[in-house]
Amino acid sequence: MAMPQFQVHQPKTLESVLDLLGRHRSSVKLLCGGTDLLIKMRAGAQAPEHLVSLNRVAGLKTISYAGGDGLVIGGAARISQVGKNAEVRRLYPGLAHACSVMATVQIRNMGTVAGNLVNAAPSADTAAPLLAYGASVVAVERGGRRQIKLVDFFTGPGLTVLEPGEMVEAIRVPDVSPRSGSCYLRLSARSKVDIAAVSVAGFLNLDLEGRVIRCRLALGSVGPTPLRCPEAEQILEGQTPDEKLIAQAAAACVRASRPIDDLRATAAYRRAMVQVLAQRVLTQSLDMAKGGTP
Amino acid sequence: MKNPAIIGKSIPRMDAPAKVTGRALYADDLKMPAMLHGKLLRSPLAHALIKRIDVSKAKALPGVKDVITGADIPQVKYGNWRLVPQSQDELALAVDKVRFVGDEVAAVCAIDADTAQHAIDLIEVEYEELPLILSVEEATAEGAGLVHDESKGNVSLVRKIDYGDLEGMFAKADYIREDTFKVHPVQHAYMEPCSCVAHSEEANRVTLWTSTQTPYIVQCLLASTLGLPENNVRVMKVQVGGGFGGKMELRPWEFCASFMAMRTGRPVKFTLTRADELAFGRRRHPMSIYSKVGFTKDGKLLAKDFQVMLDGGAYNAMGPTATFLCGTFGNMLYNYPAYRYFGRHVYTNKPPASAMRGFGAPQAAFVAETQMNMAAEDLGIDPIDIRIINAMQTGDVIPDVATISSCGFKECLEKVREISGWDEKRKNPKQGKGLGIGCFSFISGGVFNWFNTKYNFSAAEVSVYEDGTAQLATMACDIGQGPDTAMRQILAAELGIPIENIRLIAMDTATTPKADLGSWGSRVTLMNGNAVIDAAKKIKEMLIPVLFEEMDLNQIHDIAFEDGRVFVKANPKKGITFGECVYKALRGRRGEPLTARGFYTPRNKGLVSPAFSFGAQIAEVDVDTGTGLIKVEKMYTAHDCGMPINKMAVEGQLEGAIQMGLGYALMENLIMDDKGRTLNTTFLDYKMPTAEDMPPGESADVFTYEPEGPYGAKEAGEGLAIPTAPAITHAVHEATGYRCMETPITPEKVLRALDKIK
Ligand SMILES: Cc1cc2nc3c(=O)[nH]c(=O)nc-3n(C[C@H](O)[C@H](O)[C@H](O)COP(=O)(O)OP(=O)(O)OC[C@H]3O[C@@H](n4cnc5c(N)ncnc54)[C@H](O)[C@@H]3O)c2cc1C
Repeated sequence: MAMPQFQVHQPKTLESVLDLLGRHRSSVKLLCGGTDLLIKMRAGAQAPEHLVSLNRVAGLKTISYAGGDGLVIGGAARISQVGKNAEVRRLYPGLAHACSVMATVQIRNMGTVAGNLVNAAPSADTAAPLLAYGASVVAVERGGRRQIKLVDFFTGPGLTVLEPGEMVEAIRVPDVSPRSGSCYLRLSARSKVDIAAVSVAGFLNLDLEGRVIRCRLALGSVGPTPLRCPEAEQILEGQTPDEKLIAQAAAACVRASRPIDDLRATAAYRRAMVQVLAQRVLTQSLDMAKGGTP
Repeated sequence: MKNPAIIGKSIPRMDAPAKVTGRALYADDLKMPAMLHGKLLRSPLAHALIKRIDVSKAKALPGVKDVITGADIPQVKYGNWRLVPQSQDELALAVDKVRFVGDEVAAVCAIDADTAQHAIDLIEVEYEELPLILSVEEATAEGAGLVHDESKGNVSLVRKIDYGDLEGMFAKADYIREDTFKVHPVQHAYMEPCSCVAHSEEANRVTLWTSTQTPYIVQCLLASTLGLPENNVRVMKVQVGGGFGGKMELRPWEFCASFMAMRTGRPVKFTLTRADELAFGRRRHPMSIYSKVGFTKDGKLLAKDFQVMLDGGAYNAMGPTATFLCGTFGNMLYNYPAYRYFGRHVYTNKPPASAMRGFGAPQAAFVAETQMNMAAEDLGIDPIDIRIINAMQTGDVIPDVATISSCGFKECLEKVREISGWDEKRKNPKQGKGLGIGCFSFISGGVFNWFNTKYNFSAAEVSVYEDGTAQLATMACDIGQGPDTAMRQILAAELGIPIENIRLIAMDTATTPKADLGSWGSRVTLMNGNAVIDAAKKIKEMLIPVLFEEMDLNQIHDIAFEDGRVFVKANPKKGITFGECVYKALRGRRGEPLTARGFYTPRNKGLVSPAFSFGAQIAEVDVDTGTGLIKVEKMYTAHDCGMPINKMAVEGQLEGAIQMGLGYALMENLIMDDKGRTLNTTFLDYKMPTAEDMPPGESADVFTYEPEGPYGAKEAGEGLAIPTAPAITHAVHEATGYRCMETPITPEKVLRALDKIK
């Protein structure tokens, strides 16, 4: 396929981004790292006439953590930036891990968390940990701003609830309380530089007696979108987890999964791996939660 | 024997700085004025009749300069096995019928690549689908359709080997095992996708710069298919970003570029994409294998019956050689008193398989080594001991094939046992961990003249100058494996001048001496090395008289060439500089330049190769029995490559081979659907191991002196690609109990064997 003709805009302010999105509504795409978009354009899967780059917009790359308000990841923050951020590493180790092992060094230096979410691949590596941390997406358009819970964000492979003209300004992640633990594990045939064939993220918060106050579990690559596992979460909440309970919760994760056979793995393997990874994720999260502040 | 200091030294490759700084020029870097860009239209169907092709819209597109189909080209079939003309089964563009998804149907050249691609999209082809033949079993079944209508069946070539009293030996055996195996296809995945530029300055003459391992073969086959004298085709050097057997034939784009360059009078370039390579490119033969072996209860091999069907895909390509070598390596390494091989090369509607590093040997060794390990376990003999009991040694004769002129196999086995800590580790087995062994032998170039060349197999031309420098001209190809450096080391050793003083002209079929069969079969070091030595000796014969005259020497004296000087061996002070010597010789020759040619063709060296490498490798793995994922923790290798010419280059071959063997065993696989389409056409889904997957390695040298090799050297290229897959397979078995008989080993197969997935 020959690459189609298109025009690139490089605005410096959020207002002009939103203006451009409005003006070229019928055929416009936001461009961040371009690590998903340009590949699709080369393959002929997308042919926008206008690309609006977010790379020169002031302030959009910021990552900030403010106590009770939690973490805010700017709409153009690079994956590698997030992975190296000290607060992220300390408080959100699952996300930090995802951002340090996914893709390649070069891709992580260009690609963004927002791009990863909007691209909405079932295997998107930042999605499962962000789901587990209860993140939301801040969407803006000319004349409005709304906050969308990440659980409500994905509607299918490559599909989200974003409206044309809307963009992701930031990703907000709630603060983590003391006695929390979290973890993200992914499996792929190649140890690195590979898309996850199965992934599981977990978050646990314990009370002083060691009972689970809050649990969130999320799966990648085993359904049309990244998934949460409400049944598994309920099994654990209010309980003091032991090996047996963890195995039961993991089994509920398997029930939540809807894997298919594809090139990367069979559905049967994926189901078995959800069980194994969910157990490992919960065990590690529990250990971390018991160790006090993560 | 003591070699000159420069032999066996670790010399960084002379092409490395240019390659890492981007100065090196590959075919796709070449840009010429008025150059056109070519694209190919390929068949979307695996087996179909071409009912109609309409190129009118493509021709009418502004910017398009030429459009050709099978009807436009000379109907001269080609193939590397010129010795057997009926094996030559390819045309650059399909006529009447397509035989695999990707079979080339038409070609376009235009002022830019986008226009050419647009024109390709405008070509209309009407196909009538034919039943598909996608496995060797289907292809050889009663009443199967034909991939090539003119052939009698789908078996395009049969190779049989039969010696010793097979039935008698099996009758004597205390232990017999019969197994079937299946091995899968993998790809070379060379870093540089194929590319070429053709230009025809004079009518009826064409020059082709191409990414190839075999310029001479391309020259000859291009000449025959274009209907030109060989001398009218010139194939020239560019840097080649790897080949591994995948670039050793005439390819359709080379033909189309040349043909259209002649028609348009403008240079034409074709460059393939990675997706083209993975979907349609050459690959290692998948095989269906039956093997029966018999042993005495003490572990002595008695007989082997080895039956192989090679899935050759739609054309023969280098399949016949793979069929031969698979049989040859079915009984290498160990002494088999009786051996029978029945190899069949089978056509199917898949992209053609061809040569790939090891050339039929990796598959044969996977089976032989795996059965060796099974037998060792059943007979209660240590896997290394059972190998030592049967190991070949110097002087052994393989009936009808070769006499082993040097062999350090037993030493290799002892060495890997030692460096890997084999005995202790096996005494203390750990859950999920295991050690496994695989061994190999390989040829140092082939003896069999399937290309039917009239020339010597290797040739070199050496010229020397009064400024103390030399020039080496050879058709031999450096495709990344390092002969441009190794050949200069050999010449530097012969002439006693610094390697930097040697300029190299390589891979130009018009200016380098005829011929060189190319870089395959691990042949260049031994064969071209010998040709370089031959040429250097002739040059020295021209220089020695100068010294005798100058110094008025008694004829009992011998002359040495070392340290940039030519001197009397017994009295090193008596001598002159190399440059001075050349100067005086030139004067004496009244200005006639000092140039000499050297040649090498193996003679009286049996049927297969003048020399064989040997080696043993141990893999140490750690298997996660929850996920089935396998981590190769360390590789131990002991390798007899004779006397290495460049140690660093040999280490590079070893590391690259482990990466390839690990990919073959655990990750790489071309996955096809039931329509004959390859599904994983990117490196995302064709899982080549990366640097992160590479285990650390330890190796031990086993030096032998190969009498037929230059300075005692033999092959170090392909053989090393053989042992890794069987070693990992064995190690996984030791760690988990899962024995892979159908490659590759996947986490899922491991878990199914452990009953963790139902
Ligand atoms: C070699 C390679 C390996 C990869 N490996 C992985 C991997 O292991 N795991 C993984 O999850 N992904 C992987 N990817 C995919 C990709 O790199 C990630 O999804 C990345 O996060 C995308 O970010 P980007 O900034 O490059 O997105 P872009 O390509 O710039 O954009 C992607 C999409 O998001 C839209 N978009 C971008 N920013 C915004 C915004 N702020 N608001 C609204 N819409 C926006 C764009 O319009 C486009 O539709 C890989 C890609 C490559 C090429």
